[in-house]
Amino acid sequence: MNFMAKNKLVLFVISFIVIGVICQFALNSYIQALVISFMINAIMALSLNFITGVANQFSLGHAGFMALGAYTSAVLTKMFLADQWYFIPVTALAGAIVATAAGYLVALPSFKLRGDYLAIVTMGFAEIVRVLFLNWDYVGGPRGFNAIVKWPDFSISYAMTGFFLFITFLVLYHLKISWFGRNLWALNEDEIAAEVMGTPIAKNKRYAFLFSSFFAGLGGALFGHQLGYISPASFGFLMSVQILIFAVLGGLGSMSGSVLAAGILTALPEVLRSLPTGGIDIRMIVFPILLILLMILRPQGLLGRKELF
Amino acid sequence: MQEFLQHTLNGLSFGSVYALIALGYTMVYGILAMINFAHSDIYMMGAFGTFYFINFLKLGESPSPITFAIGLLAAMLFSGLVGFLVEKLAYKPLRNSPKMNVLITAIGVSILFEFGGQIVFGVNPKSFPQLMVDAEIFNFMDISVRLLDIIIYLVTIISLVSLSFLIGKTQTGRAMQAVSSRPDMAPLMGININKIISFTFVVGSVLAGVAAVLVAMKYPKIDPMMGVKIGTSAFVAAVFGGIGSLPGAVLGGYILGLGEYYLIGYGASTYKEALSFMLLILILLVKPTGLMGTKAKEKI
Repeated sequence: MNFMAKNKLVLFVISFIVIGVICQFALNSYIQALVISFMINAIMALSLNFITGVANQFSLGHAGFMALGAYTSAVLTKMFLADQWYFIPVTALAGAIVATAAGYLVALPSFKLRGDYLAIVTMGFAEIVRVLFLNWDYVGGPRGFNAIVKWPDFSISYAMTGFFLFITFLVLYHLKISWFGRNLWALNEDEIAAEVMGTPIAKNKRYAFLFSSFFAGLGGALFGHQLGYISPASFGFLMSVQILIFAVLGGLGSMSGSVLAAGILTALPEVLRSLPTGGIDIRMIVFPILLILLMILRPQGLLGRKELF
Repeated sequence: MQEFLQHTLNGLSFGSVYALIALGYTMVYGILAMINFAHSDIYMMGAFGTFYFINFLKLGESPSPITFAIGLLAAMLFSGLVGFLVEKLAYKPLRNSPKMNVLITAIGVSILFEFGGQIVFGVNPKSFPQLMVDAEIFNFMDISVRLLDIIIYLVTIISLVSLSFLIGKTQTGRAMQAVSSRPDMAPLMGININKIISFTFVVGSVLAGVAAVLVAMKYPKIDPMMGVKIGTSAFVAAVFGGIGSLPGAVLGGYILGLGEYYLIGYGASTYKEALSFMLLILILLVKPTGLMGTKAKEKI
C-alpha cells in the first residue's frame, strides 16, 4: 500500500485545507489552539512510536529531546534573528538537529542496555537536561523563557505545523515500511535472531534513535513557538509519560494510530473539563487510569501495528 | 571537620531511609524483574495513613514512645495494604505480559496515586503530627546528635535485621529466594508463586511505610508528591548497589545518602536531582549490574 498514491495525497491535502478553513472562520481561538496542540502532540507521539513501537527501544526521555529543541529554537530566534517569525522553520530545524545530537549520545549505550535499563537511562537524560536548563540563567532558569516569537496568526501556524506533521508522518511511515524499518521489526521481535540474520543491530538502534530524537526536537521547537513561553517544568517526567500514553493508546508500531490517539487524547480532557477536580489537571487522572486499563484489557492499543490507510 | 561530621550524621540518617525504600525496589525487581514505579507512592500513602490515623485517635498532642509505636505500626499496616492491593489489581493481571507493558502499568499506577492523592488529600502540604519530642541528646565539639537521628538509625537496624532473618531463616523467606532464582522451577517444589509475590510486595511496602514515618518525623510536612524525589534517589541507590541484591540496596542507600548530603553541604544543591541520575547513568555504563549484583546469563 503506497501512502503517496496520488488520489490519497490529493484527498489528504483537500481535507487538511477544509479543516483549516473551518477552524479559521467558524471556531474560536480556543479550539484553534487545541488543533495546533493536537498536531504537536501527534508529532511527539510519532517520534516516540518510531523508537518504542517499531524498534522496541523503550524511551522515557522524549521530554528531554523536546526541551532541547524548544530551547534551541527559542534562543536562536531571540539572539540572532531579531524575532522574525519567518525564521521559525529554520530555527526549528536547528533545534531538531541539536536534539538529534543528544539522541546520538543517548543511543550510544543503547546497544548495551535493554528494556527497563534503557528506559531509566533515557529518563535520567531528560532529567539532567531539565536540571541544566533550570540552572542556566540566560534562558530564565526556573522562571522559564518568556516572550518567544510566535506565529503571527492561526492560518500560518496551522499551515506550518500541519506541514511539519505531514513531513514527520511521511518520513516515519516510509521508514517503517522500508528495508530499514524491516530491520527494526526484526530487532523488535527478537534481538538475538536479528543479529544472527546479519542485521547490524547496534547501528540500527542508533539510527532509529537519531530519527526519533530529530522529530522530537522539531515537535519541541514548534511547541515553544506555539505557546510563546517554555519553562523547565513543562518538560518534566510527566511530559514524557504523556507522549508515551499517546503512542501506547494508538498502538505501538502504528503511525496512523499515534495521530489518532493524539487527537482523542487532546480532545478528551476538554470534554471532561467540567468534572470537579479541585484545580488538578484532569489529564493526570484520566491518562493513568486509561493506561492501566489499556494494558490489562487491550495491550496492543487501538490499532495494534496496523495502519488506517 | 566538625561540619563534615555533621553532614555525615545527616547523610547517614537519610541513607537509612534510602536503604529502607531501596530494599522495596530491589525485592520486587528480584522476584518479578519489574521496576515498581509506584513504590514511592506506597511510601507516600504510608505517611498519609499515619497522618489520618494519629489525628483520628487525637494522639498528635501527646508525643511519646507509645504514640511513635502506634504511628509506625499504622504506617506499616497501611503501606502493606496499599502494596498488596496494587499488586493484586494492577500487576497480577499482567503476569504473562511483555515487560514493557508491566513497566507502563507501573508508571500509570504511580501517576494515578500522585494526582489522585492531590484530589483526595489536597495539594497543600499537611503538617505531620509530632510523634516524639526531638531533643539534642549530646553535643560533642559542636556536633549535635539528636534523638530523631538515633531513632532513625535504630529503627533501620532493627528492620534490616528482621528482614535478613525473614529472608534467610524462615520458610517463606526461602520460598522467596527460590522464586527469585528460578520462577519456573519454584512451583514444582510446591511453592505458591502468587502468594510469595504478594508477600514480597507487602514486605517491601511495609519497609516503605517505616521509612515514611521516619522521614515525616524529621521533616513534618507531607504532600502527595513527597515520594517522587526520595523514590528516585532510592531507586538509584537500588540500581547502584545492584538491583536484586539486598545488601547492595542498603549499601547503595548509604552511599547515595552521604553523597547527596555532602553535595548539599558544600554548595551545588540545585544539581542534587541531576546527581543521582548522573551517578545512575555512569554506573549503568561502567558496571550495569551495580556494586553487588550478579550478572544473569542470557539463555537462547
